[in-house]
Amino acid sequence: MAYPTDLFGLSGLWFQWLLLLMVYSYVLYKETPAYRFAEHLYIGITMAISLMVAIGNVTRIAIRPLMAGEVIYVIPLILGFAMYALLISEYRWVSRYPIAILVGAGFGLGMRGVLIPNLLSQVISTIRPPTGNAPIDWFTFVYVAIGTICAITYFLLTYEHTGALSYPTRIGRWIIMIGLGVYFANTVLFRMSMLAGRAQFFLQVLKIIPM
Amino acid sequence: MSGESILVKLQKIDRRYLYWILFIGLAIPFIRPIGLPIAVTPSTLSLYNELKTLQPGDVVLLNEAFGVGGIPECMPATAASTKIILRQGAKLIFVSPYVDYQILWARLQELVPDFAQKEYGKDYVFLGFYAGLEAAVAQLGANIRTVFPTDAYGTPLDQIEMMKNVNSARDIRLVLSGDTGDWCDYYIRQWHTNYGTPVGEIGIAMLGSSYMPHYRAGVLFGMSVGSRGGAEMEKLIGEPGSATVTMDSINVSHLLVIAAVILANIGMLSARGKGGK
Amino acid sequence: MSSIFQRQVVYLVTAIIVAIMFIDFFFFETSTWIGEQVQTWGMVIYNIAMGLGAIRMMMSHGKVIQRRSTNWQYSGMLVGLFALTLITGLVGYASTGDPQSNSLYDWIFSNPYVSLDATFYAMTGFYIFSAAYRAFRARNIDAALLLMAGCIVLLTNAPIGEVIWNQIPIVGRWFLDYGQVPAMRTFMMVGAFGLLAYGLRALLGREKGYYGEVAGGK
Repeated sequence: MAYPTDLFGLSGLWFQWLLLLMVYSYVLYKETPAYRFAEHLYIGITMAISLMVAIGNVTRIAIRPLMAGEVIYVIPLILGFAMYALLISEYRWVSRYPIAILVGAGFGLGMRGVLIPNLLSQVISTIRPPTGNAPIDWFTFVYVAIGTICAITYFLLTYEHTGALSYPTRIGRWIIMIGLGVYFANTVLFRMSMLAGRAQFFLQVLKIIPM
Repeated sequence: MSGESILVKLQKIDRRYLYWILFIGLAIPFIRPIGLPIAVTPSTLSLYNELKTLQPGDVVLLNEAFGVGGIPECMPATAASTKIILRQGAKLIFVSPYVDYQILWARLQELVPDFAQKEYGKDYVFLGFYAGLEAAVAQLGANIRTVFPTDAYGTPLDQIEMMKNVNSARDIRLVLSGDTGDWCDYYIRQWHTNYGTPVGEIGIAMLGSSYMPHYRAGVLFGMSVGSRGGAEMEKLIGEPGSATVTMDSINVSHLLVIAAVILANIGMLSARGKGGK
Repeated sequence: MSSIFQRQVVYLVTAIIVAIMFIDFFFFETSTWIGEQVQTWGMVIYNIAMGLGAIRMMMSHGKVIQRRSTNWQYSGMLVGLFALTLITGLVGYASTGDPQSNSLYDWIFSNPYVSLDATFYAMTGFYIFSAAYRAFRARNIDAALLLMAGCIVLLTNAPIGEVIWNQIPIVGRWFLDYGQVPAMRTFMMVGAFGLLAYGLRALLGREKGYYGEVAGGK
């Protein structure tokens, strides 16, 4: 992206820079009217843009086919607008029908899709022994297999974790802590990359570094 | 108060000082780069190798589900992958479930000069935005034209040369999902499970944890993890870009976080040693 | 009679839809017409429902403006900017089919929206740094394991780790490729079981939380 030279582009770029300062004034200084302005600006325009895109989508998927003669699209359009019955307390129950379709479709799609990749493939991968003979491969295999079993035992919430169950659940908790530690490190990488991007933008607008 | 050590006093420091140190620490490496070498991880190498097996005429679906906020994390690897796809002679379909899809598409075209040598409609197509979560992904796999009757410019798909024989997931060689959340899960559940379509992930760093079991189980053919994955892909294709530049900033930020954790724990141990909590 | 349409028929609809999705997947080689219709209807309903959020937001901020509550001027500004963005987008859409053909909408989309989205998204970086300083204490073995794994992987993700000690990437890679797998696999499998349990409840009409019902059946 080149540094803009036209007034339209320049005004936009510097407004973006100012908005960055306004938002970060909250963390770097304190809550200011500038921050509140930026916050409300973001909410207002995001909602409008989301709505705009949804209108385009509905027109493309349902209204145009309906106008071309596919009468069946009347049904989802009626059901979609039935959602707005949520706003009228005595007719709120009407909105349960489109919600029922969304919930049913969501559960149906999720349940049928989750069996192989999230359950079967994971179990197979856990119990499949390593192909090589290196000690580290076998250590890893045993660690993953026993670790997975112990961690799953930790989620047996209908039994008290005492007696014989106390040992695998304690090991399971340690395994989960290791996993969460790695997740924390990845989260830091993610958040810092985002913030580094903003720091880079801050310098680019000031022309301290090239765009 | 006067009996407290410096370490204990540091525990109570105003967090705004910490934020300033972080922001300045992130900015400085852009001015004075260091340029340390980056090792390539097996998951990124798998992604690269699978893309290198693409044949001319293969159709790849690129799902950019990361929005403008995710550009620093996901766009470098997406751009590098797109270069490979186009250079292998494969065809690209671009879709996005984010409202800022046009910005993502424009940014991708800026970063991938190979588009200039390709012909729209013959080598790549921009279908645009789709919404509806998993139902939309399932429907896209079953019948693309019900989700996208036209491309983003209003041209019916039947009039687009490369889309004439592409009707469902069965006609697509592989899916690359660049995402910040659940979109790769949807493609795994609805495309890979249903049609056997290989799925690769270009995700934010946290998804490197969430999807590692899928990669280990062979469900995903490869995975690029965050900006680090982007830097690795840039190294693999021999074209350093924005992710490589960001790595210096990552070095500083990570050292700061580790220093913060160490200082916090030393302070805690010091307070405990003096009979505090 | 009307309460049957308000409850039982709704649960029946949910169960039928779930059953259609299952039959479509397990009994047919390719997607059936009815399965495709359900999926398409789901997409259309989802898109139309996005307007609900906008209406709710306008109602809530409208009340703030009407009552002249604290900081009502910001609510006024929000409503005004929402209306301006929506109107300019609709004008562009009506004229060419692309809302960004309106130059004001295009400017709003390409400048404040893009900047604010990225900026707010990145703000959590500050919080994770202060959390690392204030909250991540190795008070017990669990926390110590978390921090140890975290620090090793932090130094692996950053290229500087290899400069500090050349074994760090080897150990860190093991944690990334295998060390975290049991935990993440467990979350995945337990989540899958939870989804199956919830889905079964929806199929049997026992899951009522989605329809605004609370304990007591109201």
